[in-house]
Amino acid sequence: MPVYYLEIIVVVLGLVMLMADAFVKLEDKRNIAWFAVLVLSVVFLLLFKVSWPESTEGSPFWKFYDAEKGSRGFSLFFKGIAVLTTIIVLIMSAEFRGVLLKYTAKPEDGAHPQSGLSEFFTLPVFACAGLMWMASANNLASIFVSLEAVTITFYILVAYMRRNVGSLEAGVKYLILGALSTGFLVYGFTWLFGVTGTMDLAGIKEQLALDSVNVTAALFAFALIIVALGFKVGAAPFQNWIPDVYQGAPTPITAFLSVASKAAGFIVLLRISGCFFGSGDLSEKVGAVFVVLAILTLLFGNLAALPQTNFKRLLAYSSIAHAGFLLMALASPITLVADGKEPPLLDTSIGVIAFYLGAYLLMTLLAFLVMTAVRNQQEDDSLEGYAGLAKRSPFLAFSLLVSMASLAGVPLTAGFFGKFFVFKLAIQNGACGWLIAAGVIGAAAGFYYYFKVIASMFWNAPAEGNDGPIPVSMPAKVVMVLLIIAIFAVGIVPNLILGLIK
Amino acid sequence: MTFLFYIFAAIAVIGGIGVVVYKNPVSSAFAMILSFLGLAAIFIQLDAYLVGILQILVYAGAIMVLFLFIIMLMDVKEEEGKTFKFGAIVGAVLVVGGFTGALVKVLMESKIGNETIPALAEGGKSDVHEIGELLFSTYWFPIQIIGVLLLVATVGVILLSRKELK
Repeated sequence: MPVYYLEIIVVVLGLVMLMADAFVKLEDKRNIAWFAVLVLSVVFLLLFKVSWPESTEGSPFWKFYDAEKGSRGFSLFFKGIAVLTTIIVLIMSAEFRGVLLKYTAKPEDGAHPQSGLSEFFTLPVFACAGLMWMASANNLASIFVSLEAVTITFYILVAYMRRNVGSLEAGVKYLILGALSTGFLVYGFTWLFGVTGTMDLAGIKEQLALDSVNVTAALFAFALIIVALGFKVGAAPFQNWIPDVYQGAPTPITAFLSVASKAAGFIVLLRISGCFFGSGDLSEKVGAVFVVLAILTLLFGNLAALPQTNFKRLLAYSSIAHAGFLLMALASPITLVADGKEPPLLDTSIGVIAFYLGAYLLMTLLAFLVMTAVRNQQEDDSLEGYAGLAKRSPFLAFSLLVSMASLAGVPLTAGFFGKFFVFKLAIQNGACGWLIAAGVIGAAAGFYYYFKVIASMFWNAPAEGNDGPIPVSMPAKVVMVLLIIAIFAVGIVPNLILGLIK
Repeated sequence: MTFLFYIFAAIAVIGGIGVVVYKNPVSSAFAMILSFLGLAAIFIQLDAYLVGILQILVYAGAIMVLFLFIIMLMDVKEEEGKTFKFGAIVGAVLVVGGFTGALVKVLMESKIGNETIPALAEGGKSDVHEIGELLFSTYWFPIQIIGVLLLVATVGVILLSRKELK
């Protein structure tokens, strides 16, 4: 099946879901979500069955949609991340519906008791299509439109609980800062176009490698683009929006933001910075920018996470911290390989980043699933609510234990290998000592704040009046078990993820 | 022609400053229209007639009308009473100054303005025709993605602003 059918299926699925909500009488609107989960699972399996065209010459479509031999595996891998995240987010949304409906439907005014629920399942599907396009965008135009399609969907989803002040505040903050960052992105793209005369990434790379390239202007373009993409992936000093937006957004959307949106931001960052790494003069300076960004992000994300008392906010800072590790992989200069042989996957930034994001997906989504279940029982996401979780629900406590241990990087979990490969790449490629030091400080601080959560779950007594068992629906339970198995499996055999890229 | 450029550029910049400096939101909105008009004139000077006209029709026309509608819903008196905070002014000056400085430095060093870009082919199709043809042939795929984007935006606007359904 041609690879571009995947996105078409996803968009059509979104349209069908919108129509189904309007024209089919459903007792339980969750059925729409289950239908989407089913179709998306099929799409996920189809990822392994796609075919690529023999020749892409002259077709206006393939100018915008990547079909290069070397990057096919990565395109598919990042599409897989998008689809998998969407599936889990939909299951999480079905679990979250109680909280959501409290702030969307208003039965006193005669609203349908499930008003606004089905769109909450539909919009992530459209975002998923945008993310999939972004994963194979190879032209500034297609990068920009797919990035915007995703971002605008997120503006809506973040502000979705419109009767909740926190959600609205998060939505407004995200909208204003996001629009600002988009402005920087477009301005950077125009400069890049002005310098190279093309919007095609391969063409840009060629032009930037020439001696006649205008280095100052190219660096200015890069600086503008890095401001915008740094905002998208949550790199310091552009990370200010993350804690507030993550805390205010509905929990499934926070999960979506922190996994899929970050993954998509990183693939665009990889593609664009790849153009600059082609030439010696530019690559040195661009590499230095990434080193500074990585150090700042690692230190800020990890140290600011230490005093947090709200679990969602803690995960927001943790997401900044992980962006720091990913930037660390990006900052380690790419090993130049002689005689045109492809370097082993784990010696390249993109291989390590793909692995890290795959592992990050598993552990982060697991944590958010637990958070969704707990949030159904209490008013907010404060860490106090997790005290004594082991007594209230041993299963949830165990899931969170695995997720936290993996996020911290305990051996035998997926997170360990993620961090291990990042450090290995950095040391192997002779990254600067400050960067590695920041990484070590970050990883150590991570142990403290992730284990704070674990300690509170197992050693503290539950709060008065909030100590009943926590119900978890069947689909969520199944997904959690699968994620736990995957975390351990990848933690023991890391080739599981790498095998998918080939 | 250069003389005209300086006039219109000055209009655009003065309009832009007006947006920030005026305390009354309605005055700000009108300053913005002024700025858009200056920009449109510059586009037209560059022979980009379609972009210039769209700048007037869409930005100075449709979008500004929307802006004014929203401003009418706000309390203008309250906005007028607000004063600029010292910290905000310092921050804004630093950011804008830094950005302008960087831009000037890049323009000086890179000599981008010194070469004349070759003119578009004479006597061909009009630029409306050219842009239309490009959008719906070479760029059909990004246009499709924008279609999805607009659908999502429509759904979102309705969701966030509707009254409850009976």
